[in-house]
Amino acid sequence: MNNVLDIVYWIPLLPLLGCIINGLGRKNLSKGAIGFIGSGVILASFVLSLWVFFQVRGGNVHTAEYFPFINVGNLKIPFAFQIDQLSAIWLLIITGIGFLIHVYSVSYMHEEKPVHFGRYFAYLNLFVFSMLLLVMGANFVIMFIGWEGVGLCSYLLIGFWFKKKEYSKAANKAFIMNRVGDLAFLIALFMLIHKLGTTTFSEIFTSASLAKLSGKEMTTITLLLFVGATGKSAQIPLYTWLPDAMAGPTPVSALIHAATMVTAGVYMIARANLMFAMAPATLNVIAIIGIATALLAATIALKQNDIKKVLAYSTVSQLGYMFLALGSGAYVAAVFHVMTHAFFKALLFLGSGSVIHAMGGEQDMRKMGGLSRYMKITNITFLLGCLAIAGIPGFSGFFSKDEILAGAFAKSPVLYALGLFGALLTAFYMFRLYVTTFKGTFRGTDEQKHHLHESPAAITIPLVILAVLSVIGGFVGVPEFIAHGAHALSGFLQPVFKEAYAVLPKHEVEHSTEWGLAGLSSVLVILTVIIAWARFSKKPDLQAATGFGKILENKWYIDELYQGVIVKPLNMLGSFLSNVVDKKVVDGLVNGVGRLVRYGGRQLRWLQSGQTGSYILMMVLGMVLIFIVQFFLRK
Amino acid sequence: MNAVLLSGLLGVVMMFASFLFRTKAPVRILAILGMAVLLVANVLDTKGIHFFHVNTTGFLSFTGYALFFNTIVIACTLIFFLISSKDMQKVGNHYAEYFALIFFILTGIFLVTAFTNLLILFIGIEIISIPLYILTGSAKKDLKSNEAALKYFLMGAFSTGVMLMGIALIYGATGTFDITKMNIAGLLKSNLLTAGMLMLLFSMCFKVSIAPFHFWTPDVYDGAPNVFTSFMATIVKVGIFVGFLHLFYTAFDAIALQWKIWMAVLAALTLLVGNITAVFQQSVKRMLAYSSISQAGFMLFALVAMNETAHEGLLLYAIAYCLATIGVFGIISKMTDYSFDGFNGLAGHQPLVALCVAIFMLSLAGIPLSAGFLAKFYMLKAVIQAGGYMWLVIFGVLMAAVSAYYYFRVIQAMYFKEGPNHFSGISAFEKCVLVGICVLIVFTGLFPNIIFGWMYF
Repeated sequence: MNNVLDIVYWIPLLPLLGCIINGLGRKNLSKGAIGFIGSGVILASFVLSLWVFFQVRGGNVHTAEYFPFINVGNLKIPFAFQIDQLSAIWLLIITGIGFLIHVYSVSYMHEEKPVHFGRYFAYLNLFVFSMLLLVMGANFVIMFIGWEGVGLCSYLLIGFWFKKKEYSKAANKAFIMNRVGDLAFLIALFMLIHKLGTTTFSEIFTSASLAKLSGKEMTTITLLLFVGATGKSAQIPLYTWLPDAMAGPTPVSALIHAATMVTAGVYMIARANLMFAMAPATLNVIAIIGIATALLAATIALKQNDIKKVLAYSTVSQLGYMFLALGSGAYVAAVFHVMTHAFFKALLFLGSGSVIHAMGGEQDMRKMGGLSRYMKITNITFLLGCLAIAGIPGFSGFFSKDEILAGAFAKSPVLYALGLFGALLTAFYMFRLYVTTFKGTFRGTDEQKHHLHESPAAITIPLVILAVLSVIGGFVGVPEFIAHGAHALSGFLQPVFKEAYAVLPKHEVEHSTEWGLAGLSSVLVILTVIIAWARFSKKPDLQAATGFGKILENKWYIDELYQGVIVKPLNMLGSFLSNVVDKKVVDGLVNGVGRLVRYGGRQLRWLQSGQTGSYILMMVLGMVLIFIVQFFLRK
Repeated sequence: MNAVLLSGLLGVVMMFASFLFRTKAPVRILAILGMAVLLVANVLDTKGIHFFHVNTTGFLSFTGYALFFNTIVIACTLIFFLISSKDMQKVGNHYAEYFALIFFILTGIFLVTAFTNLLILFIGIEIISIPLYILTGSAKKDLKSNEAALKYFLMGAFSTGVMLMGIALIYGATGTFDITKMNIAGLLKSNLLTAGMLMLLFSMCFKVSIAPFHFWTPDVYDGAPNVFTSFMATIVKVGIFVGFLHLFYTAFDAIALQWKIWMAVLAALTLLVGNITAVFQQSVKRMLAYSSISQAGFMLFALVAMNETAHEGLLLYAIAYCLATIGVFGIISKMTDYSFDGFNGLAGHQPLVALCVAIFMLSLAGIPLSAGFLAKFYMLKAVIQAGGYMWLVIFGVLMAAVSAYYYFRVIQAMYFKEGPNHFSGISAFEKCVLVGICVLIVFTGLFPNIIFGWMYF
């Protein structure tokens, strides 16, 4: 073996093997063995991914065809993997953070029975496998398999504690909303097959191939793909499943519903960057939906009291920023934010998991407070995570968010202003969360207070690693105006996006302007943090919300709106179809046909009399009839 | 040419086998060996190795298609021998003669698939028919068998008359019996030709039991001994079908407008009559007789389409239909009660046999992954490609859905009902043959390309 790129298939294969072993052996293996296998395969994948990464950095881009997957007529879809700069980054995020979360889970889930423990790790490994398939696939079909696979795993893990009915309902909601998006993705896929006759990325994303699509077709396809992305990446209008998805175990929220799966939509659009760059109308839609989602979710997060719900809306909001970046044509910024967000949001979720663990399952912030005295490591790492997401200069979130805002400014100052406003909201709600949870006095029961403790090493070590990454992760993308040529990520991703950048309209922003924008946002964010800190450490936000706050607490009543406008009418239609159309019309028709056949059969049977003479008579009649028609009627 | 002469020769050898051997086992072994030799000889013929050099110009022409089809026919007959030859002993004492007659019938089929002269067609059809009359009546002490033979003979004679009349009219119009030399394009308006062509169509339809010329079929199939019903419902029928296709494809293509609509109408009528009546049968054997009528309706699609796909489809249909039907009859011959109730609870008594029957039924119904599905698929595809008969395609699909009803009734009886064992036992070897047939059915359903690969090697 002289090149790791020849054996990239092991990267997804190992988690699949882990899933099979843990899934089949869940009744026989000990918890230790399950945890070891589950985490070990991901570690091995991570090592391979790291190796792959350095190969790719050395300029080795790789496509491998393994076997023909679908061959129908002229359509040939191979089972093929594509390893380039973009997928290499995702590989590192998925396996790296995935590994940390597997380790964390060993401790977090230790109270489960071995059977369920095995089931959990089997699902988690299956998820990693599907996600890897999604990013490694060299065509839309393989990507779609991964796409559906992660959706399935997400469903299984949200409903992991399926005995609680609301958890199963949350799982259903996630699955169904995702299916709506998937349908759009599928239609886009079929249109591509119809128009271009291929689904392979390297064949579609060339100027010559895309020139075969008219502007209208390009816009339609990209819009449909974007609708697919809104489902998986929780954007307006398909975002409401993500907050409910917090029903799953917290490590799952960290891995699937913050760091990896929800960025699949970003990955897909980044993968199809050239096509989107050639559809300016779609880019506008993406930017608008992105900023709208960012603001809507941020406002909702202001008034949530469940620690995981705040983080969930924060995730939706941050995903909105990524789409704002994509819509502004700042692809690198989007990928950059995916990366830094993966660090700090995984950190925050795992930190909240540590808190929930210590609180004995309590998730309501109003019953916490003053935890910093009991959980030193969790406290510090969580604070670092908050600083990173708020975008304090020097932390990773600062660099990526600033790059997004600069991109938005280049597209339109209005987008920039709204984006900045959202960033301030982010800082505000994050420090509301932090201060309410970790500062002040403890507001829970005495029993909980007695129980408070720092979590074990399997939980704190991943926290520390993620905290370090959240702090320094931004330095791979130091902006051009601070130090020339220091944006390592941009240089690394350049081959993936260069054609799209050539197509996109150029908006050069002066370095001095960028300094001004960055300075402005930094000052405002720091101010907001101070205000939030001062306000909530004095008087925590405990009483029931009133007026506008109540609207925010109830999430703008969007769920109720969907329930009334979409779900109820559909249910009514469904019961109408099942009670009236199906029972009366369809069944009646089917039974009628059956009765007709029986009747006809009974009549035809009389013809079979057994009399040779009558048989011959009928044959002759048939002949005569045909003769008459042939010679006298047909001309 | 190898197969025609050799099978005639083998027929004569089998006639004398009863004098040579006192017991029946050697006769059977001789027949099976003879069939194997015939298979090898025919395959060699396709590879260009000819044992006999006879000038047949103007009478016979062995195309690759005909030879490949003959291979299928011989292979199916061999499978038929393997699974049913023991049961032929139950029919009567003239064991060796039955084999002889079957070899003669094969000779007839080879002639019918390769003729270029209407006289050869007539001779071939008669060589097929006359031994069939005898086989139908071979259970001499069974009144039903006697009645069936007589009916078959009377109506067969009638259809022979029609065919001869047709050939005579065509000769009158064209002045030749050679179908490659008829200048039909110049006779588009000739009523003499059209009438002759229609009479040929009627008589061929009679032989492959197309409605309204199908009335003999249920009575004859029901009356004839099981083993021979199996043979005549499958191998003989598809053999004549290939001749039918060959005749109209070669001779009457130029006046296709005159007869294509009749093919479509008759196909639809046959599907209707066959399927609707099959729904009502209480006996599986009689149900299979009607099913063979409805399957013939599907095969007639090939004559509506008349293209490359139709030729391929007819081959697939021949394989799928023959294998499944031979398999089912092989099992029916071993049952004491072959009504639907007789199959009750078979899955409990004979799980393997029941599984095989289920696969045969699924294939006959045209369920995907079976050869039967692909066969139907190709027929529908052929008609769609040919264009203009979309209504027939839709009707065919609907009728295929109806057919699922009576095929599934057998499966339902075997698996979901209880009943005493009516199965008289089966040897390990025959079980292997049954499983082999199932494997072939699924294999053909999965990899039809391999079959076509052999065809166009």
